[in-house]
Amino acid sequence: MSVAMKNLKTFPGGLHPPDNKQWSADKPIEDCPMPDELVIPLAQHIGAPAEACVEAGELVKKGQLVGTAKGFVSVPIHASTSGEVVAVEPRPHPMGKALPAVVIKPDGEDAWLPGLQGGDPASLSPVELRDRIRDAGIVGMGGATFPAHVKLSPPEDKPIDTLILNGVECEPYLTADHRLMLERPEAILGGIAILQKILGVKRTCIGIEANKPDAIEQLTAATSDLPIEVVPLQVKYPQGAEKQLILAITGREVPSGGLPMDVGVVVQNVGTCTAIDDAVRRGLPLVERIATITGPGVVEPKNLRIRVGTSLQYLVDQCGGLKGEPAKIIMGGPMMGMAQLSLDVPATRGTSGLLLFTSENVPVRPEGPCLRCGRCVRACPARILPTTIAAYARLDLTDEAEAYHAMDCIECGCCTYSCPAALPLVQAIRGAKGAILAKRRKG
Amino acid sequence: MLAAILSLGGIGLAAAVALGFAAKKFAVEVDPREQAILEVLPNANCGACGFPGCSGYAKMVATSDKIAAACPPGGAVVMEKIANIMGLAPVEAEPMVAVVLCQGDDGKARQKYHYLGVHDCVAAQKVADGPKTCPSGCLGLGTCARVCPFDAIEMTPDGLAVISRARCTGCGKCVSSCPRSVIGMKPLDATVHVLCNSHDKGGLVRKYCDIGCIGCMICKKTAPTAYEIENFLASVVYENHGDAEVAIEKCPTKCIRNFMDGYPEGSSFSAPTCMREAG
Amino acid sequence: MVDLVLILISAIFVNNFVLARFLGICPFLGVSKKVETALGMGMAVTFVMTVAAVVTWFIQYFILIPFNIEYLQTIAFILVIASLVQLVEMVVQKVSPVLYQALGIFLPLITTNCAVLGLAVLNIQKDYTFLESVVFALGAAGGFTLAMVLFAGLRERLDLCPVPKSFRGTAIALVTAGLLSLAFMGFAGLVKG
Repeated sequence: MSVAMKNLKTFPGGLHPPDNKQWSADKPIEDCPMPDELVIPLAQHIGAPAEACVEAGELVKKGQLVGTAKGFVSVPIHASTSGEVVAVEPRPHPMGKALPAVVIKPDGEDAWLPGLQGGDPASLSPVELRDRIRDAGIVGMGGATFPAHVKLSPPEDKPIDTLILNGVECEPYLTADHRLMLERPEAILGGIAILQKILGVKRTCIGIEANKPDAIEQLTAATSDLPIEVVPLQVKYPQGAEKQLILAITGREVPSGGLPMDVGVVVQNVGTCTAIDDAVRRGLPLVERIATITGPGVVEPKNLRIRVGTSLQYLVDQCGGLKGEPAKIIMGGPMMGMAQLSLDVPATRGTSGLLLFTSENVPVRPEGPCLRCGRCVRACPARILPTTIAAYARLDLTDEAEAYHAMDCIECGCCTYSCPAALPLVQAIRGAKGAILAKRRKG
Repeated sequence: MLAAILSLGGIGLAAAVALGFAAKKFAVEVDPREQAILEVLPNANCGACGFPGCSGYAKMVATSDKIAAACPPGGAVVMEKIANIMGLAPVEAEPMVAVVLCQGDDGKARQKYHYLGVHDCVAAQKVADGPKTCPSGCLGLGTCARVCPFDAIEMTPDGLAVISRARCTGCGKCVSSCPRSVIGMKPLDATVHVLCNSHDKGGLVRKYCDIGCIGCMICKKTAPTAYEIENFLASVVYENHGDAEVAIEKCPTKCIRNFMDGYPEGSSFSAPTCMREAG
Repeated sequence: MVDLVLILISAIFVNNFVLARFLGICPFLGVSKKVETALGMGMAVTFVMTVAAVVTWFIQYFILIPFNIEYLQTIAFILVIASLVQLVEMVVQKVSPVLYQALGIFLPLITTNCAVLGLAVLNIQKDYTFLESVVFALGAAGGFTLAMVLFAGLRERLDLCPVPKSFRGTAIALVTAGLLSLAFMGFAGLVKG
């Protein structure tokens, strides 16, 4: 493997934390049973939160609209099972505060809304396809939850020639996309066909990290007679970050402050791809997703197909419960996921995983002075100077931080991970980014 | 000797003539009052007046011929001097002092989670609205102490900001730096304050803090004119602050403090020894 | 020609006005917090030094020596340099307010700057010709600017370092200046004489 790895494509910088995927990589996706209550937040995506369009007491079917999109960068929210709306009120949200949510008491029938119709992608125009994707509420399923239809609406002056499917899953622990590629390759291929039609691209690649040889093999076989390349990539975090993935596969570098469309590329997660396939061919809105429940704090790690709105506590219960008191709960991957205050929050469309750590797995090191060892600089995939920017950020020197390209930080956390002095580098840079944006808004 | 006097005098004369000529020819109008005002200002460039620094304030006063804003750190003394320079009536500014309206340090208030990020209140507040369970208490990471131009704020070992009444000039920089608006500007002559900022109901406050205001109304019953209660939070009616002292003993959670009796626990500031220092 | 190059190199590196002759320490410590202002100060000094070298050379050889009053050199030079800087300041303020904003605050500092007077006196001591004086002034000013910019760069970096509390501010700046001066000693022997 090491010989083969040398020739694999990748990006400069990055690092390889122990990936610990073995716990759940061989576990087939299981359907998560129906919880007693579903809390469906109206803010599950980047952009304006949806606006509730149901009231307490109303009966809804699975897939029925419960929140309408507000603006272009926003998506609608749907009921993830049939039942009664018991409340529309602020509930604890993974963001750490109470945000508006639609609470549904399932009736147990899990009946789909009648009249949801699929269509043949071949007979639909690109605009119709895009509208279906938007109406199905599809967002980036890798965890960033950026509305998919926005990415699929590039301006006229930015022609897109390459579509990249992100099956890298470089975050340690997570195996949801891995299982998806093994179990639903036909849905991925169906989604690719739809995306190809919308964007009219010349080249399509599926990027997969080399630590998933079975997925590479399976997709290579499935795409042998299609115009799709499967590109094995070096095992390195953050290989799945959009800009790093584009650089590794196409050799094009997204300019500072630019977007992938500036270099003619659109990247979609494989999970998003299956959701698009479901939305177009079967007419199903995005109400469930695959998530990996794992970590040393859970009895039996699993890959579950979960309904949006299922509480994290319920998910943990399906995996045999907790091993002792959890010291850290992370929604998403360990590098970029969000730490949670409690298990009393719902899973959302962006919940790619749930990680539980006990206190012996969460070493707390005291913060020390910067040693100027440069490990963060070597690890930084955005090729900026994390230690310098963080130091400026701490002194509130926003202009200097901006001059050192703080805005190019992708917040992957490699700097903080690699820092021997345990400095909160990415946290400080994120603060600087906020300050820079605030300053720009002020003008 | 004569050569020395003449040549040196000649050089001096030539220079004087050149300078005199240049002063006329290249004269630039500068309002002398602007400079005079700048000289009497504290020159801490704190921005409390709402202008960019002391020079901005001086320029505003000199060019607009009116004193549109007061200089809180300078107080009445400086305002009078400025008024004299400009030949105008001074703006009356009641002397104010910043007060941290919270006593919930780590020993008294519960933590929602263990915060490990950047040691800064603004950064901590962004992570799930701060590590303290109380949504409006002092986070204790010292952002206000770092912005204070007068070194008037200290952080107690248990993580509570305390403002020295002797050093605070009332510039208000800390007020705008605090992400939770825990710091309030209060009249300097009032020494009794309700040191709590939580508008939550009593039961909730009791859950997360030992020393928070629970809105029990006892202070209002004891000294009806000196207190008012709004949204479960008592506050001193500063027009009648003289009557407030009687309620201190009655407060069940001890969240009313007279600064004449000392600063909150853990502070190294010594209690004011006289009313002038205290207020 | 070789002489002129040697004078230039020697004035910039070997006998750097700030770091080897320890002249002009006030602006060196005072306006070296940011590279931009340090560069501005350096430019202002370059200008004043060159003009002062020219004027004082003429004063020396056309007034002081002919009248046999060299003992009045110091006072005459101070008089001339001070008036000159004042004149320049007034002209700049009127002609280019932008440049005045950038340089203006430094100009009064230069009036009493010992580096400028030192340069004028050294020119005479070393018996430089007019051309040599001008080159020496350019070299000295270049050395001053170099030292300022290097030091300002160091201090900008220093702002980011966790300096022990007792060393913060001027203390660590002086330590840094000393180290920089030591570093410049490495140039000794680069030019003979």
